[in-house]
Amino acid sequence: MEQLLLPAIDWLAVLPVGLTSILGLVLLALGLFVDDDETLGWITLIGLAVTAVATACLAGQKSITFNGTFALDAYALFFDLLFLVAGIVVVLMSMTYLEGTGIPSGDYYGLLAFAIAGMIVMASATDLIVVFLGLEIMSISVYVLAGAWRTQLRSNEAAMKYFLLGAFATGFLLYGIALVYGATGAFRLDRIATAVGDTPNRTMLIAGVAMLIIAFGFKVAAVPFHMWTPDVYEGAPTTVTALMAVAVKAAGFAAFVRVFLHGFGGLHADWSMLLWVIAALTMTVGNVLALAQRNVKRMLAYSSIAHAGYILVALVASGAAGGTAALFYLLVYSFMTLGAFGVVAALGSVGEPNETLDDYAGIGFRRPLLGVTMTIFMLSLTGIPPLAGFAGKFYVFTAAIREGYYVLAVIGVLNSAISSAYYVRVLIAMYLTPGAEEHGRVARQPYLLTSIVVSAVMTVVVGVFPALWMQLARFGFLSL
Amino acid sequence: MDHVLTWMTFLPLLGAAVVLCLPSRRPGLIKRVALLSTLPTFALGVRLFAAFDRATTAYQYVDRTPWIASYAIDYFVGVDGVSITMVLLTALLCPLCVLASFGIDKGVKGYFALFLMLETGMLGVFVALDFFLFYVFWEVMLLPMYFLIGVWGGPRREYAAIKFFLYTFAGSVLMLVAMLVLYFGAAPHTFAIPELAGRGAVFDPRTQQLLWLALFVAFAIKIPAFPFHTWLPDAHVEAPTAISVILAGVLLKMGTYGLLRINYGILPAATLDLAFWSLAALGTFNIVYGALCALAQTDLKKLVAYSSISHMGYVMLGMAAFTPQGINGAVLQMFNHGTITALLFLLVGVIYDRAHHREIAGFGGLAGVMPVYTGVAALAFFAAMGLPGLSAFISEVLVLLGAWQRHPGLTIVAASAIVLTAGYLLWTLQRVWLGRLDERYAALPDVDARELATLLPLAAIVLALGVYPHAVLDLIGASLGHLNELVRAGAAAGVAPR
Amino acid sequence: MPGVPLQHVLLVGLVLFALGLYTVLTRRNAIGILMGIELLLNAANVNYVAFARYSGAPTDGQIFAIFVVMLAAAEAAVGLAIVLGIYRNFESIDVDATHALRH
Repeated sequence: MEQLLLPAIDWLAVLPVGLTSILGLVLLALGLFVDDDETLGWITLIGLAVTAVATACLAGQKSITFNGTFALDAYALFFDLLFLVAGIVVVLMSMTYLEGTGIPSGDYYGLLAFAIAGMIVMASATDLIVVFLGLEIMSISVYVLAGAWRTQLRSNEAAMKYFLLGAFATGFLLYGIALVYGATGAFRLDRIATAVGDTPNRTMLIAGVAMLIIAFGFKVAAVPFHMWTPDVYEGAPTTVTALMAVAVKAAGFAAFVRVFLHGFGGLHADWSMLLWVIAALTMTVGNVLALAQRNVKRMLAYSSIAHAGYILVALVASGAAGGTAALFYLLVYSFMTLGAFGVVAALGSVGEPNETLDDYAGIGFRRPLLGVTMTIFMLSLTGIPPLAGFAGKFYVFTAAIREGYYVLAVIGVLNSAISSAYYVRVLIAMYLTPGAEEHGRVARQPYLLTSIVVSAVMTVVVGVFPALWMQLARFGFLSL
Repeated sequence: MDHVLTWMTFLPLLGAAVVLCLPSRRPGLIKRVALLSTLPTFALGVRLFAAFDRATTAYQYVDRTPWIASYAIDYFVGVDGVSITMVLLTALLCPLCVLASFGIDKGVKGYFALFLMLETGMLGVFVALDFFLFYVFWEVMLLPMYFLIGVWGGPRREYAAIKFFLYTFAGSVLMLVAMLVLYFGAAPHTFAIPELAGRGAVFDPRTQQLLWLALFVAFAIKIPAFPFHTWLPDAHVEAPTAISVILAGVLLKMGTYGLLRINYGILPAATLDLAFWSLAALGTFNIVYGALCALAQTDLKKLVAYSSISHMGYVMLGMAAFTPQGINGAVLQMFNHGTITALLFLLVGVIYDRAHHREIAGFGGLAGVMPVYTGVAALAFFAAMGLPGLSAFISEVLVLLGAWQRHPGLTIVAASAIVLTAGYLLWTLQRVWLGRLDERYAALPDVDARELATLLPLAAIVLALGVYPHAVLDLIGASLGHLNELVRAGAAAGVAPR
Repeated sequence: MPGVPLQHVLLVGLVLFALGLYTVLTRRNAIGILMGIELLLNAANVNYVAFARYSGAPTDGQIFAIFVVMLAAAEAAVGLAIVLGIYRNFESIDVDATHALRH
């Protein structure tokens, strides 16, 4: 019998995931005793903020621990902070949104914290086993969150669809990892990276990589693995949808980018062709289908598919420019999408989702703050300078052109033009369509409005001064 | 005058911020603050006009600081003779438009805030010397314009606003791709327009022409050149008066300005290759087509809109001549068209405010009840016709003279079209101002002091430039001569001139 | 087990995977789909164990297989709870019968 040796562990590296996990446990326990939803919300906020500060203090550290399977580097920190900030914004949104829904706050916030812990694991994972672990921790939490509003039929249905397709994707992930393991004899990305060059089982390796693309394609909602997205995004509670569209997708990409650009970097010529097609399809199908939507939440679901396509363009471009652009785009995309879902949440109320374009008629004048911020988000998603969305697209397409993917860049740019049609339709509804004169008092939504304003401010700031954020993304990517 | 262009550009934006902070129940205050925020820019513009060095071809009042270092993108502004002319036009029209908008009573705060944002965007386009910055300002204009037409426009405003948005956005997307290809075309990668000058030469001729055409479509939509013009009549008819003025007075010029600054400067060889069909022939077609369409219009505003298409054709024809007269005439025509069309739209606005319709057939004999109005209108119509002694005469003659040396056949067609122009203008003049007075309009008041204040400055400029065109020609001469040489030299040598 | 070549074991895995895939794609019953997914996971597990047995690093694959078994259990627990919730609201676990959302 071999002696099992525990490897030396750098506990600092697991600080972010440790703190969020503890937060989740504390919240689950507190949910049994504390009835006040607002207090639980504040505890979550403070917990996530403390974790974010602690994580930021780790900047500059670089270590790989748990026997080379878990990394603390700028790349992981970039994503950790992105997840934590997105989590904070989602909690702010939830503190207003949960009122009257009957969703138990303790469980909800606890699962939110666990989901973030899973994402952090994914961002740090340098080993396929750990990628899988992180993915499952995140996914299982989010399956439950999607169905958290148990009395709503569509929340139930969203949870089931998300679960079935998520589990299905897990099957592909595992089988793909198995094939890669068979071909290279390793789970660790650095060992895979050295082994891919001279493996005897090239076919098996390529099949494994293709399966991983399918699995990650499901998680980031790339065409043709996107079918679940509209139903799930529309049915889940809006705050959870925001979390899925932003943080879950970012986590998917965090692992996707690390595994593919680090582990399978040597196979770029093989997988980039497949991803090229998927990226083009994702952008086009997402945008074209979004054109047909009258429900804003569902339209945003298709829009999030299209944006995954833009990020895939950066991934295809690869190299320092492409990787940096992918990270930067995720940052930009997070704020504008969080804000847009925030506005959707703010306009709805229990029993009255108010999600169709008809419900948005005249909102610009009835609720000027929501009108202005939604205008910022829609224009940013379209890619109008000087907003953040433009900077993101600019870097992505620049990277694609730099690496010689002219056709893909042109497809992307044309897609931006198509997308303007449906984003502008929201503006038309808000400002140009006469709406019913409502005199009823609007409920006070201090937390929700804060989250929207924060997202709007970030969308403008990142757009006007992209250099600093770009630098962060660059540090992050180069630390891989 | 440190950072004078920056101040000029961003003072209106500051004004917009102030306007947004004012209480919306005090519309009078908002209007006055808005007017006040356009004046410093105008004053600085006048000072710039006086101090501008007319002898040099270099960019003046340059302001350059790094903005996005990793892509060598700078905040880089400056003016040469062409852009300062456009800056002056913008700085002049904006206060007049704010004054002309005092009648707005719906959503006053939003209207003026957006208008001031629009002014920043327009000035930014003209002063930007970094292609990226140019593109950003180009897009920044899009949004305020969209809302100004869409919210404050006429009955079919929604359709007009969307059409405007989609056309312009589609064009700018093409510009973005061309811009990136130019950026990566040669080392060191740069967006600075002066450093990109002649950069096109590093590409093979076919790529150059593709780039040129991509940029051309983006700009032709703004000019607007046939067949990209269909958004213009809709936008004009639905837009409120002041916005029509800005649209015709400034926005259309961005198309031709962009061609001169980007296409001519960066891709000289392709310019020479493609100028005949896409500028000279298309411009002449625009002249005739616009005039014929104008003849068929029953709506006064639509008539002026089509006359714009016709007049912008002269600019395109003059640009394609590659002779000093032609290109100088083209830029002078840009300025003159800016003032004359502004005047025409303001006049249409005056009568629309009183009669609440613009049907030419519904008027008649206005000369009897509104003598001052009629006087200004006659001046504007004669100026648009190109009557000697008024500003457009000089520029059109210069364009035709210049074009004659290179495209004699087209010049004959363009010159003959003046008959059509005279036809629709005189016919309209006769139907609206002469003839029998309709009973309903017997008691129409003449123009009031505010309206006169918007009309007279423009009328004075039209008169003054008719007598002394050198006020503008001196400004643009040196820069345009240099540009013209650059195009011819760049095309002859096939390499970037240093 | 040395008599059995690696290919045979992999073939078993592949057949399991194909069966799972077929089940997931053809069943309309949520529990049926769940069972198909379990087949997929176990197909992968067979591969892990097989590769671990026949390749250089024996422990890694076996450890992974244990992880998979553990997480599959967690997933099944959550999945069954979700399906139970569906049944309470819709009185059916046929995935086509649940159409609160547009398809």
